[in-house]
Amino acid sequence: MRLERRDGERIDRSRAVSFTFAGWRITGFEGDTIATAAFAAGKRVFSRSFKYHRPRGLLCCSGHCPNCQMTVDGVPNVRVCTEPIREGAVVEGQNVRWSLDFDFMSLTDKIGGPFTPVGFYYRTFIRPRAAWPLYEKFLRSAAGLGALDPHAGHTRRYDTEHRRARVLVVGGGAAGRAAALEAAQAGPGVVLVDEDPRNRDLALPGVEVLAPARALGIWEGGLVPVDADTVLYRFRAERIVVATGATEQPLVFPGNDLVGVMLPDGVRRLIGDYSIRPGERAVVLGSDDETLAIADELMDVGVEVEKVVDLRDVRPRELSAQGGKGRVRRLVLNGERYGCDLLVASGGRQPAYSLLAQAGARVEFDDSLGVFVPTELPDGVEAVGSVTGAGLPRIAPEPAYEGKGKCFVCVCEDVTTKDMKRAIGEGFDSIELAKRYTTTTMGPCQGKLCHLSSIRVYAEETRMFESAIGTTTARPPWAPVELGLLAGRELTPTRRGSIHWRHQEAGATIQWAGPWKRPYAYGEHPEDEVRAVHESLGVIDVSTLGKLLVEGREAVQLLERLYPSRFGDMKPGRIRYGVLTSDGGRIMDDGTIARLADDLFYVTTTSTGADAVTAWFQWWNAVWAYDAEIVNVTGALAAVNLAGPRAREALGRLVEDPDDVSAEDFKYLDAHELVVAGVPTLALRIGFVGELGYELHFPSPAGEHLWDALVGEGARPFGLEPQRVLRLEKGHVIVGQDTDSESNLYSAGMSWLPKLDKDDFVGKFALEHFVQREEKEQLVGFTMEEDVVPAEGAQIVVDGMPVGRVTSARHSEAVGQVIGLAWVPGERSEPGTRVEIQVDRLRRGARITDGAFFDPSGARMRS
Amino acid sequence: MSFLLACPFCGPRPVDEYAYFGEVTKRPSGSPTLRELTEYVYFRDNLAGVQREWWQHRAGCGEWFLADRDTRTNEVLEVMLPESRKTS
Amino acid sequence: MNFLSPSRCASGTLASPLARSLGRVGWSSYLGEPEQVRDLSLEGVVEVRGNASAVSPGAGEELVTLSPRRAFLFTGGDPAEVVARVRGQGALAYDATGALAGIAIANERVLRRLTDLDLDSIPTAGPFARVSAVFRRGTDGWFHVYVQQELGHYVAEAVLDALAGLEQTTWR
Repeated sequence: MRLERRDGERIDRSRAVSFTFAGWRITGFEGDTIATAAFAAGKRVFSRSFKYHRPRGLLCCSGHCPNCQMTVDGVPNVRVCTEPIREGAVVEGQNVRWSLDFDFMSLTDKIGGPFTPVGFYYRTFIRPRAAWPLYEKFLRSAAGLGALDPHAGHTRRYDTEHRRARVLVVGGGAAGRAAALEAAQAGPGVVLVDEDPRNRDLALPGVEVLAPARALGIWEGGLVPVDADTVLYRFRAERIVVATGATEQPLVFPGNDLVGVMLPDGVRRLIGDYSIRPGERAVVLGSDDETLAIADELMDVGVEVEKVVDLRDVRPRELSAQGGKGRVRRLVLNGERYGCDLLVASGGRQPAYSLLAQAGARVEFDDSLGVFVPTELPDGVEAVGSVTGAGLPRIAPEPAYEGKGKCFVCVCEDVTTKDMKRAIGEGFDSIELAKRYTTTTMGPCQGKLCHLSSIRVYAEETRMFESAIGTTTARPPWAPVELGLLAGRELTPTRRGSIHWRHQEAGATIQWAGPWKRPYAYGEHPEDEVRAVHESLGVIDVSTLGKLLVEGREAVQLLERLYPSRFGDMKPGRIRYGVLTSDGGRIMDDGTIARLADDLFYVTTTSTGADAVTAWFQWWNAVWAYDAEIVNVTGALAAVNLAGPRAREALGRLVEDPDDVSAEDFKYLDAHELVVAGVPTLALRIGFVGELGYELHFPSPAGEHLWDALVGEGARPFGLEPQRVLRLEKGHVIVGQDTDSESNLYSAGMSWLPKLDKDDFVGKFALEHFVQREEKEQLVGFTMEEDVVPAEGAQIVVDGMPVGRVTSARHSEAVGQVIGLAWVPGERSEPGTRVEIQVDRLRRGARITDGAFFDPSGARMRS
Repeated sequence: MSFLLACPFCGPRPVDEYAYFGEVTKRPSGSPTLRELTEYVYFRDNLAGVQREWWQHRAGCGEWFLADRDTRTNEVLEVMLPESRKTS
Repeated sequence: MNFLSPSRCASGTLASPLARSLGRVGWSSYLGEPEQVRDLSLEGVVEVRGNASAVSPGAGEELVTLSPRRAFLFTGGDPAEVVARVRGQGALAYDATGALAGIAIANERVLRRLTDLDLDSIPTAGPFARVSAVFRRGTDGWFHVYVQQELGHYVAEAVLDALAGLEQTTWR
C-alpha cells in the first residue's frame, strides 16, 4: 500500500516503470527496487525455501537474507530487495514447482517424518547403492536455489580492474563516513565502499565513493576484491578501515519464517525510502529501545499496533507466530493471541566482523553484550563503529522460544532448532562439525543472520558458554558473487611467431602446440608435404624454438656443467646436439648448441622449453656464479628450417655468394652468419628432418620477407604433422612425447651422449648409478606387420600381458610401412624381436628395430 | 595466496609474480651413494616454520633470490641475494 | 651478432608483426580521435647485461634498470651502434628491437584492467595481461608497455578488449 508523498522518499512518482513479476504485470516508480514495487502492488511471497518449500517474504529487505532471491532476466539468485527496478524486466520465482503461491514441493513441509530432518539424505538415500544416481537427481531438483540456463550464453560482460588505495573504508554508515573524511584530511587515495544503492550519490570531500559495491573479503597483502556489479575492483590498500556495522538478528521462535515476519530495518526502509505501508496490524517484539521504537513509526503511517512485547520485561513460557497459507496471522504469547499481518521482531545486533576475521583478527564472545566482537586486529586493519561492539545493546532474548511449529535458526538452509539439537544428539559436538552436518551458516547469507543464533542454541543445548564454543572460521566471499565476475575476461596468453599470418593466409590448419599457435598442415594431405621435403624442398616455421645466448668468459664452463656433453673442444662455427638432464638423471629438454665465438654460444631448446630452460640456467648460475650471461632471444628471432635435396641450390640463390653455402664451405653441423635475401641470418646446418637442411635464424620483423623469399624459390611450406612423420622416419626422439619424467639417457637410447669422465655436471651422480644398472625399459623403434597405425599410448602385448606402450606411430610413405617408437622391457628390446600391439580390439604383430627407419647412415642430411 | 613478497630489486609485489623453487637444499659433492643422491633429489624437510627458499621474480626483473619465509603464516622475514651475487 | 639487428636488414624487409595483428582486430578504429594506442614494435631497444651501472644513456635515450645486472636501453638511434657503444662501456648488450613488441597506451584505466602493478613504480618490469612486461612512460605521458614479441598479438587484443570494456562500463 503506497502512502502519500513523504519527505525523503527515494521514488520518483512521475516516472512509472513496468515489469513482470511471476507472470503478473507490475508498475512501480523509478527509484523502487523490484521487491518494493512488487510489495506495494500487494505481492508478499517472493520465494520458496530451500528444503521445505515454505513461502517466504521480505525479511531483512537489506540484501542480506535469502528470502527475496529470484531469477531476473535469466540471472538466478538476484536479491530483488536491492535490485533496482527496470522497464520490461522478467522476474521469476525459483526452486518452485507450479507457482510461488502454490508450490507442489511444499508437501515436503507437511509430510515431515523421516524425510526432512537434518542429514536425512546422508542416511535415507544410501540403499540400494545403485539407486543413488536417481536419488541424487531428485534431491538436486527438489532442494536448492535458482538454476542456470545452460543455453543462455554470455549475457553480461565482466571486467577486472586493479586499484590502489592509501585508505580503503568498507561501510558507509556514520562511522565509515567519519573515518573516510578524517583519512582524506591527510591526503588523497581514500576510497569508501558501501553496498547500499541508496549511497550511490553520496559525496564526501576528498573521498572516492563506490556504491553500491561489496567488499568480498580481505586477503593477505591487503587485497580487497570489491564487487561493483560488472566490474571487480581488486584493491590493494595500505590501510583498511572496516566499518561494516552490526547486522540485525532474527529472533528464534516457532513460525519465525512466516511471510510477514520482518526485521525492523527492513520495515524502516519500506516506510522511509519507498513510502510503503508495510502492513495493517502489527506486533512488535524486541529487547532493545531501537527495535521497540518502530511501534511509533508504524503508527505514524497508519499501521495499527496490536501489541509491543519488550522481552527484557516479559519471560515467555511460550512464544510463537501462527498463520495460514504461510502468512503470519497472529502472535501467541503465553496463551494470549494477538492478531497481525506484520510481526516486527529483532534479536538484537551482531557485529559484522567477518572481514576482520578473514584479515586475521581474533573473535571473542563479549559476555556483557552477548555477541561476538573482533579483537587483536592485524597491522594495517582497523575497525570503527558498531562492528567493534561499541554502542550495541545487550542481547537479552532467549536463544530460542518454545511453541508450536517449526523454529528456524537458519532460513537459508531451512535448519531448525530441532535439527541443531538432533545433530548434537548424534554426536556432532564441535561447532565446526555441527555446522557442516546441519549446513547452518553455509547458505547465501553466509551466517550474517544465523551464526550468532546457531551458537546460542548450541550453547544452550550443550550447557557450554558461548566463549568456550567460539566461532566457526570466517571465509570469503562475505557476500554472494557471480562466478562470471570472479572469472573476469578470458586471458589466455597465446604465442604466435612473426610469420603466423602468412600461414593463416596460406590456409594452414592452426593448432595449439604448448603455448604456441602453429600450423598443423597446409592442406588435407600432410603426406604431400612430407614428399616435397624428401624429393624437392620444404620449409617449416620453427620460430617457436627456444633460443638462448650464453656469453661470458666462463660460458664453456657453465654449459659443460649444465649438459652431460662436452663443449670446450668445439671450434667456433660448429654445432652439437645436447640433452638437459635433472640431478635425478631424467631427461628435461633437448636442442642444439652452436659455438659462435670462444665466449659466445647459441643454444636452442624445445618449443615449449624456452622459459623453463632459461630459468633453469639462470638458477644454476645463481648458485655457481660463473662469469656468463644467459639471454633469452626466442622472440627476437624468427627461425625457419629449409630442407630437401634442393636446399643448397635454393639458399645459394638468396645469398651474396653461392659458394658460402657450398658443401665444402658449409658442412654438416656448421653454423655460419650469412645475409639471406638482404636479411642478416645465423644459419645452422643440422639434420632436423633428415634431409639436407639449413635452419635460418634472423630478426623476427623480417619474418614474412624471408619466408616469402624461400617460398618464392619453390620451398613448399610444411606443418607440424609432416614434420612429425619426417622426424619419426629418422627415429628422432621428441622430448615430452617419446620421453616422460622417468626417462633417462640410457633408457632412451642415448648412452653415447653423457661424458661421465667430466668433473661435475647436473645429473652426473644419477647417470653414474644408471650406467651400472640394467634399465627396466628401453625406448625402441618398431615397424608394423600390417598397415595399421596404433594410437599413442597403445599397449605392447607379450604372452597376453601388457608390457609396454607406443609413444609415436605414423604411416611412412618413404619407408613403406607403419613405423613408431615404443617403450618395451629390456629383454624385448633387441632388434628383430616380435611383439604384439593392441590396435582397437585386435592385436597386431610388430618388429622391434633400432629406430633408424630412413637413411640410417645419414647420407642425405650430410650430403 | 596473495601475500606480498619483496623482490630485492623491484620491491614488494604479489606472490603470483614469482616462481617458487622450493627450500634450499645441499647438493652432494664427490660420489654420493644412491641413498644420499635419492635424499637430495627427492626428499625435503617440509618445515612448519621458517625456512630458506629460492624464488625468482619471473614477471619482473627475472632475478633469483632467497627468502626466509614462515610456512605457517607466509610472513617473509628476510630476502637476500645468493652468496654468488652479493658482490655484484 | 648482426642476426639480432633489424636495423642491419635491407630496406623494405621489415614489418611490425604487431601491426598485422592490430589490423585484424580492428585497431584502426582506435586510431581516430581520441587516439588510444600506438605500435612501438620497431623502435630501438637494447638489452644490457652484466655491469648495467657502467652504462650511461645518450641524448634521447632512457635506461630502464631492472636489476644491477639487467637493463633495457630505449633508443631513437641505430640499436646496432648502441650495442657496440655499450659493449665499449664494459657491459654486455644485445639488440632487443625484434625481441619486444611495444604498445603505447593513453588511458591509465586500460593498464589498471590488465595489471595490478603500482603505476607509480614505472619504469619497471611486472605483469601485464598475465605475461611479463617492461613499463615506461613516454615523453607524452603515455604508458609504453613491452612484452615478448611472440605475445604481442595476444596483448594487443587484450588491450583492445579492455578499451571496449571501458566504453561499456557506464555508470562509474
